[in-house]
Amino acid sequence: MQLAAGERVALLGPSGAGKSTLLAVANGLLEPDQGQVRWQGEPRARAVRARRHQQARIGTLWQDLRLIEELTVQQNLNAARLAVWGWPKALLNLLHPLETAACAAVLQRLDLDPALLNQPVSALSGGQRQRVALARLLRQEPLLLLADEPLASLDPRLAADLLALLLELACPPRALLLSLHRPDLLHGFDRVIGLRAGQLVFDRPATALEPGQLQALYAGCEAP
Amino acid sequence: MRPAAPLWVLLPALVLLPVLALLPAISHGGGWELVGQFAAAALRPSLDPIVVRSVLDGLAVTAGIALLGWAASLVLGLVLGVASSRLVWRTCSGSGTPAGWIRRLLALPRSIHELLWGLLLLQLVGLQPAVAVVAIAIPFGALVARVVSDLLDALPTANLEALRCGGAPGPAALLIALGPPLLPQVISYGGYRLECALRSATLLGVFGLGGLGTELRLTLQSLAFSELWTGLWLLLLVMVLLEALVGWLRRRWAMPTRLGLGQRGVGRQGREILALALAMAPVLALVAWRLGIDPSALLQWQGWPPVGPADWAAVVALPWPTLVGNTLLLTLVAAALAVGLAPLLLLLAEPWPPVGALVQGLWALGRLWPPPLTALLLLFVLQPGLLTGALALGFHNLGILGRLLLEAAETTGARQQQALLAAGTGPRLALLYGRFSGLARPYLAYGVYRSDVILRESVVVGLVGATGLGSQLLEALSSFAADQLLALVGIYAVLTLLGEDLSDRARLWLLETPHGDGHPQEAGGTWR
Repeated sequence: MQLAAGERVALLGPSGAGKSTLLAVANGLLEPDQGQVRWQGEPRARAVRARRHQQARIGTLWQDLRLIEELTVQQNLNAARLAVWGWPKALLNLLHPLETAACAAVLQRLDLDPALLNQPVSALSGGQRQRVALARLLRQEPLLLLADEPLASLDPRLAADLLALLLELACPPRALLLSLHRPDLLHGFDRVIGLRAGQLVFDRPATALEPGQLQALYAGCEAP
Repeated sequence: MRPAAPLWVLLPALVLLPVLALLPAISHGGGWELVGQFAAAALRPSLDPIVVRSVLDGLAVTAGIALLGWAASLVLGLVLGVASSRLVWRTCSGSGTPAGWIRRLLALPRSIHELLWGLLLLQLVGLQPAVAVVAIAIPFGALVARVVSDLLDALPTANLEALRCGGAPGPAALLIALGPPLLPQVISYGGYRLECALRSATLLGVFGLGGLGTELRLTLQSLAFSELWTGLWLLLLVMVLLEALVGWLRRRWAMPTRLGLGQRGVGRQGREILALALAMAPVLALVAWRLGIDPSALLQWQGWPPVGPADWAAVVALPWPTLVGNTLLLTLVAAALAVGLAPLLLLLAEPWPPVGALVQGLWALGRLWPPPLTALLLLFVLQPGLLTGALALGFHNLGILGRLLLEAAETTGARQQQALLAAGTGPRLALLYGRFSGLARPYLAYGVYRSDVILRESVVVGLVGATGLGSQLLEALSSFAADQLLALVGIYAVLTLLGEDLSDRARLWLLETPHGDGHPQEAGGTWR
């Protein structure tokens, strides 16, 4: 399986197909039992620092967002920079949030008021939290965006908005790999990958996907 | 500029700076060789059958005293807790005023450390196994009573009101509506108190009230380090097994975690809990018989040794500001060391699991090693004084707080930490930002409570001349100066009650979330 710069790929499959596992392998939280992960043509680094450097360019949007409730929006956004910051800056950020202009810029890009920067995350509405999580992702400046079922618990309107935003943010050279459980939201993706029981069932352009393949993927049988 | 939550837990560790600066001034070079011998003996404990048998006998006595003291304190605490609950009184008699009076009465036994109870009872009824049991049961019972009454008064009353509206009599309605939600919390807290009772029984032994503590002190004083380590390793084994058992039962019965951050609900295994409670009765009877406990002997007072008339002028002439000031300073330094060092060490060891295991081993030793013995050990290389006492108390409480921090970290912030790790953040910063953020408030709330306990405990390091009030008190006890003793116990009680009040306010403040979506009792509110 390969992902090119700027590509937007949807990952489909029934529960237990291995979508989250694949994403965890991609962001380095899990090691593959077999095979090899390559990043920008090179095998994934084994040395701790080099590996963290690679991971810093891979951003993950979690279904439960994983914002740090006790910190302000700005401190949460800056948490995305910890991989490249040293200890002094990381500690200073907890005393007095740093890089206000950069944080305000990512908020504005997502149509959020920069006045939110000083708000604790726990004071935000559901929609604001979604966008702050996205802003944190942008603040990380990743080359690969991973999203693990980000639309699962959203109402249809919010889900459509968030998906549109993610597709918009995944512009070259940034790639997007997003796991979905709703085949009706495939519009805008370049490729669709189907997984079942840890196996690749199909990998084809989104425009070439046939309804029968989707039905077979979820029904657990071979496509006609 | 206001420090964010993760920094709060590290700020108390700043006390290390003055402590490290002062250490050279109080150290003497004499005992490093002895400390080396002590450390080396850890790897070669004595396996002489006579030593092992003696240690096992001592351990059995300590465990028996702990078990009996704990059981008595639970019974006492439950009865007194119900009796001091405003809700119970309002439901049964229409007025909560008597509950307030009983609470005030219980403040006195609670404020006096079990060691003081032990030494006072020793003077009154002589040396017998029941003294240590009662010495544990009195303050522990009063503590359990307060927790039970706090829990009862904080429970939702909708079910109770519904039953009362339906005509149910008060006691029956209370039992049915409040029993199920109260039970798991009391049992969870009870398990924690059993660990405390084992530590206290060891401590009482150090002061001559029987059991393993006596063996530990004698072997340390005679520099028989191999024999000392035989006792320490066995005690460590029992302590770790007990902690594991309590933790396992808490998880099995879906009890609240110690910082109250986990699941809180009615225990699912009611029959198992009942069966275990019933099985405890014959076990306790057997233990009491083996220890030769004779409750009637407690009533045969031997009378105070002949003392002269009270000299209140001499009592007033004691250097009270210095005594009180030193006691408070000792408490603050020990508390800051314990509260701040636990997260700092966890943070430093995070990238290296073997170092983390070593730190945890050190904490386990700190928990079981009674502070007076740490103080004696420190005297090999340090001069007696306030700082030596603070280090001994700090080390003991570091063990307790470290374990609590680890326990709470299991259930808090794991997902945030994982998200940061996935983004390439180093393990220490991921721990600091991801986990410590959520832990800060409940951990510090517990730390504040612990300071309150340390104030009570400051008496136990009196033997190194460390505590002001504590050392003066031990001096008054050994010279049968009843007037001084009375005044010192009174001042201690007032100080600990003031400390308790302050720590209660601080905990409530810490546990109030900025947006009021948390309940003060949710986290750390019950851990006394």
